[in-house]
Amino acid sequence: MKGIRVLIVDDSAVMRKIVERCLRQAGIDVKEVIEAANGVEGLAAVQQGPMDLILSDINMPAMDGLEFLQGLRGLDNAKNTPVVMITTEGSESRVVEALSAGARGYIRKPFTPDQVKERVSPLLDGAR
Amino acid sequence: MNRSLAERSASRARPDASWQVMMQAAIREVFQLMVGTDIQPADPPPESPSGGVSAMVGMAGALCGVLRLRCSEQTAVSIATKMLGGHEPGALSDTCDAIGEISNMVAGNFKAKIAGLCDACMLSVPTVVVGVDYDVYSLASPERVEVSMTYEGQPLWVGLEISS
Ligand SMILES: [Mg+2]
Repeated sequence: MKGIRVLIVDDSAVMRKIVERCLRQAGIDVKEVIEAANGVEGLAAVQQGPMDLILSDINMPAMDGLEFLQGLRGLDNAKNTPVVMITTEGSESRVVEALSAGARGYIRKPFTPDQVKERVSPLLDGAR
Repeated sequence: MNRSLAERSASRARPDASWQVMMQAAIREVFQLMVGTDIQPADPPPESPSGGVSAMVGMAGALCGVLRLRCSEQTAVSIATKMLGGHEPGALSDTCDAIGEISNMVAGNFKAKIAGLCDACMLSVPTVVVGVDYDVYSLASPERVEVSMTYEGQPLWVGLEISS
């Protein structure tokens, strides 16, 4: 998939930069990165225009990642966008919760660029 | 708190000798993967924690307590710089952000290593304090797991205070 638009939602600006770097290191052709510090900002960004990929933290102030996932369900712009959660919460119940709320994948922090590639690339190949 | 967490937290996790080893392993993995630096346990450990940057993450569920990571501001800037791919953080807030995330990942990675804890304990958003002139008061006298590490020759201390 060429020149994708990615939304990275995380309350940590440093983590958003790390995720972006991992995507580029993974050889994913990123055209544009939009950053959001919580779910509210994330939903606003999706309303501005559709994304090809969304990566979201879970633990965030204002609106957490699971509420963000629920909010995305109501947006036409997000219908075909794969969402991958990137979080320190590695518990099975949280993974199940995120997947049943519509996430397509789950990456636990700390992670390697290879892990990001492994989870994200198959979602992009099947997207178009 | 979801139902399974409430159920599981009925049985409190109790620290044993393995927790210190698990904590060291959790810290080393986070630093290897996110900072690109191999850090080692301090030998001998310093007498008391020092440094002007402290990050705290609350834990609730089968384990209730606070994980605290402390290092000097210089060390914190170095860690943040490496996390940012060699770009020095523009502001103190970016340094705090980086140290907060490190503490969050250490707490998450640690609980994932303790049997029965991963699913039964949740983490708070991290808080970072800058400055050396502060005291921490706990209501109960808590059990502690403390680990002193060496990051590029400089001390880095992680303590887990377990309440209740
Ligand atoms: Mg977060």
